[in-house]
Amino acid sequence: MKHLLSSIAALALMAGLGHAQGANVPDNLEKLSNFQSTGVTDFTFIEQSGAYADGIKKTLEGITLPAGFKIGLYAVVPDARHMAVGPQGVVTFVGTRKDKVWSVTDRNKDRVADEVKDFAPSLRFSIPNGPCFSKDGFLYIAEQNRVLLFPAAEFFYESPDVAAFNLVAQGDLIPAEQESFNHTARVCDIGPDGKIYISLGQPFNVAPKENLDLNTKWGIGGIIRMNTDGTGREVYTYGVRNSVGQDFHPETGDLWWTDNQVDGMGDDIPPGELNHQTEAGQHFGHPWYGGGSVRTHEYAGEEVPVDVVMPAVETVAHAADLGMTFYTGKMFPAKYKNAIFSAQHGSWNRTDPVGARVMVTHIAEDGTATMEPFAEGWIDENGEYLGRPVDVAQLRDGSLLVSDDLAGAIYRIWYEGN
Amino acid sequence: MLKACVLALGGVFLAQSGLAQDAPGDPEAGRKLAGQCRTCHGIDGFAKIPIAPHIGGENPAYITHQLTAFREGTRVHEMMSVVAKTLDDTAIANLAAWYSSQTPVAALSARQSPENAPEGCVACHGVDGIAQIEDAPNLAGETTMYIDTQLKAFRTGKRSHDIMTGIAAEMTNAEIRAVAEWYAAIDFKVIPAQ
Repeated sequence: MKHLLSSIAALALMAGLGHAQGANVPDNLEKLSNFQSTGVTDFTFIEQSGAYADGIKKTLEGITLPAGFKIGLYAVVPDARHMAVGPQGVVTFVGTRKDKVWSVTDRNKDRVADEVKDFAPSLRFSIPNGPCFSKDGFLYIAEQNRVLLFPAAEFFYESPDVAAFNLVAQGDLIPAEQESFNHTARVCDIGPDGKIYISLGQPFNVAPKENLDLNTKWGIGGIIRMNTDGTGREVYTYGVRNSVGQDFHPETGDLWWTDNQVDGMGDDIPPGELNHQTEAGQHFGHPWYGGGSVRTHEYAGEEVPVDVVMPAVETVAHAADLGMTFYTGKMFPAKYKNAIFSAQHGSWNRTDPVGARVMVTHIAEDGTATMEPFAEGWIDENGEYLGRPVDVAQLRDGSLLVSDDLAGAIYRIWYEGN
Repeated sequence: MLKACVLALGGVFLAQSGLAQDAPGDPEAGRKLAGQCRTCHGIDGFAKIPIAPHIGGENPAYITHQLTAFREGTRVHEMMSVVAKTLDDTAIANLAAWYSSQTPVAALSARQSPENAPEGCVACHGVDGIAQIEDAPNLAGETTMYIDTQLKAFRTGKRSHDIMTGIAAEMTNAEIRAVAEWYAAIDFKVIPAQ
């Protein structure tokens, strides 16, 4: 704890420098950065039992999984998007596309959450979709146009006032006039190099020509990385349409990420993507390619001015591959070691809906990747969604959490086939 | 800001006279077409995802205007521009008829009191976020970020409207956020049409 506090103090000094600007009346972020109280004392708690929870459990009875696997309701979490499991296993933070971040706690360790409440209720969040943790317990939350960091979040979250600092101050992630609501579900991860990697979706169906220089400069339609003190920002990935899921291979350290592809070209084209990046600065084809090797109408016939890396897996068109995680746990059978578990959110305007399921991708020795369904059954016989999975995360016991922003829930998948 | 809205109202009432000629749509035909809308807006117009507004119980003129604007390219959204391209005038009228046939119900939440309603907005959007005029959307229960995004779109010119462009131009980020939070906090539901 002493070590922790001294690193926080160092951080506070550092963060204070970038912080002095602003009005005479300090806002709550400024107060929290100075370890002052905001006066906000009220949490919003989410009811975990009752008719609503029972309805979700009923849906889960219809979900099919490979033999030996079970699924159950872990928590009721409104608008649940991407998840960050605390490195000490104390709490899981869950982002939303609205203005709240939820903290989810399983106090009695029966693998069902007992308490869901809002995190840092004095702060005004804007699309805080993407929480991620560093190994040493710093929580980062990527928003529409800001990235905040919360030292020792697993310790401070029990109080309404937490320690909070700017990693990227409001308005510095992208130019304010490029802000959008759609394609703004950012995700982040800390890489093996200790840098933070943040996806920046570009807001159009197909990026317009007049934006390409700006996008390249800022990493919009890309993935950026920077040091965890906010310095050294650079664009790591180019040619992305809207990536909402990423993770680093546990052995090679390579970044793998999903990407959502162009709408309006037909029910069955273009394919969605799971991409494998092997070095900094690679280009993955947007806007010349709409997904896989399918060329966009807008750039049809134009010479592609960059070397393009094609996807490792072409996924079902419009299924909306989102959050993903490599499996490193010991609970599941050996064949799942270092496999990718990912969520398909489901199509939004395809004639017959596809997706709304959890997928697993096995990567062979030669690097070839094969994706197949793992958990499905969230589309009913009338083509109506009963749930829409968003993200997959791993608990310390090796079970998986799956978030769902339609049902407003987190499920847990565990293995008891032994 | 209040003054701007009241002054502009005269223009709205004039403009509305032109809308009366729009042929009424067929709600039953609209319900069938709404299969392509429901993943985001719900079959009864109660939105299923945060980026989509509630459109159940919206004035048909407002729905018609917006779908037409998406089709013509005067309003742009990466999903709606794709969808609207496939709709002809009859389809738009039918969709407007279906969604406007739903009944919107709004009530201030326990922590809101009417005198705190944003004064510059209530003449058109109501204290409780139910529109008072034909060409205004209901704002009750829309997400904070949806309203925030639209006001900023009016301010930057990405979206334009005779009244809203002028109003949004004078608003700060904090004022936009406060207005958005007011309307987002209102309890809203849609009673489905039979």
